[in-house]
Amino acid sequence: MSRALLISRLVARDLSRRPAQAVLMVLAITAASTVLSLALALHGVTSQPYQHTRAATRGPDVVAQLGGPVGSVHIPGHPSRNIGVPPLSVVQAEVRSLIKAAGVTGHGGPYPVASAILRLGHVAAPVEAEGRGEAPAALDQPYLTGGSWVRPGGIVLERTFAEALGASVGDRVTLDGRPYTVAGIAVTAASAPYPNMCFPPGGECGFDAPTSSALSAVNIGLAWVTEPDARSLASAAAPLSYFLDLKLKDPATAQQFASHYVASHYDAAHPFPGAGGLTAWQSIAYNDGLLVQDEQQVLTPGAWLLGLLALGSVAVLAGGRMSEQATRVGLLKAVGATPGLVARVLLAENVVLALVAAAVGLLAGWLAAPMITSPGAGLVGAPGAPSITAADAGLVAAVALVVALAATLAPGIRAARVSTVTALAEQVRRPRRWGALIRISRRLPAPLLLGVRVIARRPRRAVLTAASVAVTVTGLIAVLAFHATADARYNPASTGLGDPVVDRDEQMLVVLTVALVGLAVLNAIVTAWATVLETRRSSALTRALGASPRQLTSGLLAAQLLPALPGAVLGIPLGLGLFALANGGGARTTTIPSAWWLIAAMLGTMLAVAVLTALPARIGARRPIAAVLTAA
Amino acid sequence: MQQEVVLALLAKEPSHGYQLRARLRDALGPLGDAMNGGQIYVTLGRLEKTGQVVVERAAGMPDRPDRKMYALTAAGQRRVADWLAEVNWPKPDLAEFHLKLLAAAAAHLADPVAIVDAQRRELLRRLRDAQRAAMAEPRESEAALLLEGIVLRLQADLRWLEACERTWTKPKASTRGER
Amino acid sequence: MSETMNQSMLRARGLRKEYGREASLVRAVDGVDVDVPAGETLAVMGPSGCGKSTLLHLLGGLDRPSAGEIWLDGQRIDQMSERGMAALRRDAVGFVFQAFHLMDELTAVENIELPALLAGRSPRAARRRATELLDQVGLADRARHLPAQLSGGQRQRVAIARALANSPRVVLADEPTGNLDSEATLDVLQLFESLHEAGQTLVIVTHDARIAATADRLISMRDGAFVDNTRLTGGTAGNLGALVGLDG
Repeated sequence: MSRALLISRLVARDLSRRPAQAVLMVLAITAASTVLSLALALHGVTSQPYQHTRAATRGPDVVAQLGGPVGSVHIPGHPSRNIGVPPLSVVQAEVRSLIKAAGVTGHGGPYPVASAILRLGHVAAPVEAEGRGEAPAALDQPYLTGGSWVRPGGIVLERTFAEALGASVGDRVTLDGRPYTVAGIAVTAASAPYPNMCFPPGGECGFDAPTSSALSAVNIGLAWVTEPDARSLASAAAPLSYFLDLKLKDPATAQQFASHYVASHYDAAHPFPGAGGLTAWQSIAYNDGLLVQDEQQVLTPGAWLLGLLALGSVAVLAGGRMSEQATRVGLLKAVGATPGLVARVLLAENVVLALVAAAVGLLAGWLAAPMITSPGAGLVGAPGAPSITAADAGLVAAVALVVALAATLAPGIRAARVSTVTALAEQVRRPRRWGALIRISRRLPAPLLLGVRVIARRPRRAVLTAASVAVTVTGLIAVLAFHATADARYNPASTGLGDPVVDRDEQMLVVLTVALVGLAVLNAIVTAWATVLETRRSSALTRALGASPRQLTSGLLAAQLLPALPGAVLGIPLGLGLFALANGGGARTTTIPSAWWLIAAMLGTMLAVAVLTALPARIGARRPIAAVLTAA
Repeated sequence: MQQEVVLALLAKEPSHGYQLRARLRDALGPLGDAMNGGQIYVTLGRLEKTGQVVVERAAGMPDRPDRKMYALTAAGQRRVADWLAEVNWPKPDLAEFHLKLLAAAAAHLADPVAIVDAQRRELLRRLRDAQRAAMAEPRESEAALLLEGIVLRLQADLRWLEACERTWTKPKASTRGER
Repeated sequence: MSETMNQSMLRARGLRKEYGREASLVRAVDGVDVDVPAGETLAVMGPSGCGKSTLLHLLGGLDRPSAGEIWLDGQRIDQMSERGMAALRRDAVGFVFQAFHLMDELTAVENIELPALLAGRSPRAARRRATELLDQVGLADRARHLPAQLSGGQRQRVAIARALANSPRVVLADEPTGNLDSEATLDVLQLFESLHEAGQTLVIVTHDARIAATADRLISMRDGAFVDNTRLTGGTAGNLGALVGLDG
């Protein structure tokens, strides 16, 4: 018991003596933990969320889209044929056939679907309005997340679509000019959420309402109205189509059912009388997940970058801690502590730091997760706590522990192995001699001479600086590329509609960029401050030999900027490559941001490094010389 | 001139007076210059009288002191042996100086610190001269070794004088801070 | 007689350095006047904590006085800007420390040429000067050695050479033989003697009487103030025999 008390007192005293370093270490590991928590939360969200929706809405196993303008049908090997609008009798016959098909145990609908233009304020969007009864259906009843169900003159919007419109319950909208009120907002399992509603497989949505060309590039939204309202929206130019929900005996076979049915009943001569065909629930689930997968494609590389930066900070801090840990270890050993006790003190201290960092990181991730997980994928499920499970927490804690231990225990062990005398004499981390650099520096003006020699003393530190800057610039360039590509692909300015995919990605990017910049700033400060501390004695000596404070400050700046430059330059191709990789591995086009932005990102980072280094450098360069030299 | 030193110089073999003088000068270097030239003959004369040294006249030489050949008698040899076995270190005059300071303080004749300072200055000047002489000598010469010894002893004496100064300085009313 | 000699190379009036506040105020240097003519070697002796090192730091521009005035070669230096003082340390003052304070990762010759490089001289000129100085201190064969490969005395000699790199007007030495054994002390002693003969102005702080004895003038310090100020010429004036009782 007394041993444990001794250890805890040693740890507490040590941490309180150098709180700044401990705090910085905790910050670095916390940032990494936060990102990891977020990633895990999102991952958790993508695995089973659709199931929640399906259960809550009593989702259908197969959805048939019938009628409406079928448009051209393309079958390989045959010339395309324009089918036009199937007559109602054909549709009705089809409905009967489907209901009676083998394996079908129940059905809902058919529900009439009208194509209309919805306007909210100055925003206009094409919408498919499904006509429903006011009483809840047994199969496929959309789950309300706000407001109430359809009523005459009342329209219920699909949740993600409502988000894109910026609509809320009670807003007044028009459908093809007719006034409606937003009665409610709901989620459904019968269709992928906006804007993926009309993604294949199955077919394309046939949307042939009179639209202006500006809207043809816009995605179609889903809404529900009463059946009479839907029928009233039909016109000769925009005829009704129909949704039919089917319940199968064996839901797992939905996809086989759909393809088998189409193959056995239709061919080129008699195509399926509907634009959308038969869609199994698995396909809908897949599309549903696409949104979140998209987000993960942004989050994962971002998390890697942040992790690298955090590791960079931790490594620099560890290097700085190594010498002082070595001295402490030497002192402990000199007063008689056994190697076992010494190891336990080090271990206890690092464990404490890591656990604190993990706890703070988990908390931050828990608070930030709802922003990303809940509305995005049309999911049903309470935000917050359930998205981070106990297993996730354990994983984050374990990772934080491993990072902290790897970065700080390794130097501690090395210190423990080194002889006491060496440790006490602070010989554990002697500066290196890099003869070539020293010779080159002789020909340079004084500030560069000093800067190059600082680099020559600790070359690995310079490499770390270059790497951190490279990672930062990579992240910034990737973000710029994202914006450039998103702008090129989809311009909301013309329609006023948001694209929730892009919006969500942008939100996440903001979070990531803030975290990235924050960590990069931390990194720069840590490196600069560590360098100033380590070169304290030689700086004082150089000043005693006649270097002015300005020469010294410039030297330290050069020592940071010289490695930062190649890092920043390298970050440009790396950032573009990273984004291209995340953007479907080249499957989708990547727009390269303009050269001005690239250069601005690069120069901006270097400027930030310069500013963050200048402050500790100036402070260090003005300390009274005698005090430093006599203390050394 | 210490009689034992002269006897020791004769221990190896009988020598002329002038040879003894040369040997002494070699051994003492610049310190030998202070030596009076005739000193050694006076000492030799005394030793002859007390029977520790005997003169071997060189044949056919006139009766001049520097031409005489001197040799040890048995008594002389015994004296040399005794001398070599002695461990008496040359007397330092610490006791005399110490008493000087006490007397000055007790009788209010002078400020002991002033006496110490004056002595210090003198010793420092001597140290300076001895050091200069030591550096002028070629290294590893016998005289250089002797000079080194003088320098070191002066250094030691100076340290003692510093201690005296600390002790005899009256403690001032504490206007100056803690050290 | 001193009026006809050169004016003071180093002068200070009312020099004071204080640390702390109120009750814990410490006066390291308490109202001191200094006058060092050109070419003189001045030794400052005193027990530890008497303020002699602080005094030297003030004279060399490594620290700022709390009060008082300092003139170096006629130029007032206590109120100078940091940049001015840096130039001073570079060109006018050479400092030798007790702990040598050489750069561990530079060779002997690289250490010595550093002040010259900082002063803006060409690398070739700086290297030439450094080699000259290495010769002067008798370490020409150790030019490429790192400090870790040199003995204490050799390191201090390299440090002295470094202090001379820009031909300073004053060389200030703070306990130069404090970390050396007696043989190394002798080497340093001889160096100082040769500098003195060449007309270099030297101020040496020491508690080693042997070093002090090389000086022209000796100042004793206690509790931040001067208590004694003597010229060291004269003395036994050649009567060395008296030292060993050979004259009686």
